[in-house]
Amino acid sequence: MNTTRMQGWMLLGGALTGVLWLGLSSYPHVVEAQTASNTVQQAAAHIESGNTLFQQKCAFCHGRDAGGGETGPDLTRSKLVIEDVNGNKIADVIHNGRNGRMPPFDLNPQDTEDVVAFIHNQEKKAASAGKRKGVDVSDLQTGNADAGKQYFQNACSKCHSATGDLAHIATKYQGLQLEQRMLYPRDAKSRATVTLPSGEKLTGTVEYNDEFTLGITLPDGTYRSWPVTKIKYTLDSPQNGHVELFSKYTDDDIHNLMAYLQTLR
Amino acid sequence: MNRWKKAGSFAGAFLLTLATSGIATAQGPTQADLLHPPKDSWPLYHGDYTGKRHTSLTQITPQNVGSLTLAWAFQTGSQAGLKSSPLLIDGILYFTLPDNVWAIDARSGHMIWRYTYPNNKGLHIGQRGVGAYKGSIFFLTPDAHLVSLEAKSGKVQWNVEVADASKGYWTTMSPFVVGNHVMVGVSGDFDNLHGFLRSYDPETGKQQWQWNSTPDNLTGGMTWMTGTYDPDLNLIYWGTGNPTPVLNGTARPGDNANTCSIVAINPDTGELKWAFQVSPHDTHDWDAAESPILVDGPFKGQPHKMLMQASRNGYFFVLDRTNGKSLLTVPYSAVNWSLGIDKDGRPIPNPAKEPAPDGRIIAPDEAGAGNYRSASFDPKTGLFIAPARDAYSIYFSKPADGTYGWSGADYGVWSKGAIKAIDYQTGKIRWEHPIGNGSSTGVLTTDSGLIFTGDSHGNALALRTADGKTLWHSNTGAIISTSPTSYELDGRQYVLIGSGGVLFSWALPENTAASK
Repeated sequence: MNTTRMQGWMLLGGALTGVLWLGLSSYPHVVEAQTASNTVQQAAAHIESGNTLFQQKCAFCHGRDAGGGETGPDLTRSKLVIEDVNGNKIADVIHNGRNGRMPPFDLNPQDTEDVVAFIHNQEKKAASAGKRKGVDVSDLQTGNADAGKQYFQNACSKCHSATGDLAHIATKYQGLQLEQRMLYPRDAKSRATVTLPSGEKLTGTVEYNDEFTLGITLPDGTYRSWPVTKIKYTLDSPQNGHVELFSKYTDDDIHNLMAYLQTLR
Repeated sequence: MNRWKKAGSFAGAFLLTLATSGIATAQGPTQADLLHPPKDSWPLYHGDYTGKRHTSLTQITPQNVGSLTLAWAFQTGSQAGLKSSPLLIDGILYFTLPDNVWAIDARSGHMIWRYTYPNNKGLHIGQRGVGAYKGSIFFLTPDAHLVSLEAKSGKVQWNVEVADASKGYWTTMSPFVVGNHVMVGVSGDFDNLHGFLRSYDPETGKQQWQWNSTPDNLTGGMTWMTGTYDPDLNLIYWGTGNPTPVLNGTARPGDNANTCSIVAINPDTGELKWAFQVSPHDTHDWDAAESPILVDGPFKGQPHKMLMQASRNGYFFVLDRTNGKSLLTVPYSAVNWSLGIDKDGRPIPNPAKEPAPDGRIIAPDEAGAGNYRSASFDPKTGLFIAPARDAYSIYFSKPADGTYGWSGADYGVWSKGAIKAIDYQTGKIRWEHPIGNGSSTGVLTTDSGLIFTGDSHGNALALRTADGKTLWHSNTGAIISTSPTSYELDGRQYVLIGSGGVLFSWALPENTAASK
């Protein structure tokens, strides 16, 4: 068709579109409802996409409902998840893992966002359902504080002090976190004293130690390492005192100790 | 002698003629190959039907292993860590990651084909490897499908649904081939599901039989890992998983028979011959899925056909595999949950150590003293080599946790790993080799007196079987979650260790005298 006629059709089409647009916008609630339902639909789509990813990569450890599975914690009651806003904390954990406990996952930004959306949705569902699978602070109140104090004097006071290193410990940690650390301080590191062939002695925090290599951080922050065959060294691991107690505790001892430590606020 | 053994013997004699005359078998493995794996093969998950994961190869010795070097490496490019034992058939290696099968040249690591299963919602926690029979490769998917691929091309031949993944099932194990039976087990205890073992026709994918590990009124008993087979008795041996709900035992009083058990089943019919329960009324998620290793040998002066397992729950079991009777039950790691052993050799669970609302301290932890990583038996020394953990944990369960799935929570508190050499006649630990704060790598033993395994830092290790001394190591850069395999090709012995996304192939340097 010739140019003039095409221009004519375009003008008509443009006018009709304009009329339609003007017409629709005089029904604002229709437009808003459509936008709102699109947003809800989109959010649901992201949560569902996150669900698929979560089942594939996370569910074995964190449970199919994110409520805890084989070896992995309940995410629906995790402090980090509760404090997370739009993935600002969760994304880090996904991408970097947790040394020795959780592997890293190379999720792209959209997939990460979707997994975060799923986790928060599960968190909401768990809170409203009231059927969480986890340990509340109230679950850990079955012990006797006096008996716990007695046990502490006998078994713990060699290394610990209620007014010294453990002062206010119950303000720092509560519930399960406190009990886990009481049983074994998993962030504790050993110290090493290394004697070099020259006779020089160095001490530092052990960062790496297999049968072949010892690596320590010196007080000034420098990392140094040696083949173990080239040095003499001794290790100081006071946290092993906790390990020695495992086979000695009764469950009552543990509950009593918890009762006592929870008084150290 | 049963018909599989007869057929195998005949085929074996025929094929031996072919093999020694240098003609490659047309389409392996055959049943003869599975019964008597040639040196240049690894046709089953554990290498052979006994599950010893022991190689008769002696080229690599305690004297020369110090010069072991990298022959080649294959990089999957995947962040997911390898967990499969590669099969070697006719010079080609087949191994897996969830949704993926690779076929590579065992001499160079060159990739021949790769099969990728479509995206699916199943749990992608791991993939232990394929099964193989007469030119077909059998592969289980995260969403519980069994796929048959043509070995030479990776083309799909058939695909059947083993279980409904939307109900909570998934699959990871290496399909187990005996005769014309491809047998598979299922996973899944986040839901209250019935466990089962199923046999399929290798050519058509048609179901032949199903054995249910639990009756109608009980759930659990997942059949997680590949079993072993005795051709003389014509019995397969399999470990079953824990009952569900996992941590809530009050919902299911009694022993919960056939969960956490070692079972003997006729592979032709799926009929149960006997069952031995490793953890009666388990409430700690301690599957009995660890390698059920078959050993013929003396026990207290008498010859016995035995089955040995270093189990998840911390106990080492020796059974008479003809009838499932206990010969020995002894802890091999820290345990605090039992009241002793009953007259049938089963640990007696202490009710005071069931998960409780305010928690109970339990040894071992949920991950257990033993798990997916293979143990090995060395016939020369009579040592059962267990990649073991000692661990403590706290277990919780309260009524509000319900009766579905996990029904509680458990937390590991501390652990350490060690390779433990167990004298099978007494359960005494002859030597222990510490490997760090955990254990993730399986064990391979050799006739020349070597152990291949790994530590918690990613070191691949060669230890002397007699005393556990380290003779070689190489840090692979990732936690090793595979069980090593070995074979000989062109007169050169290879040891394969998959670590992270890389399959490493180790051998003596090409120009050393031993490799000529």
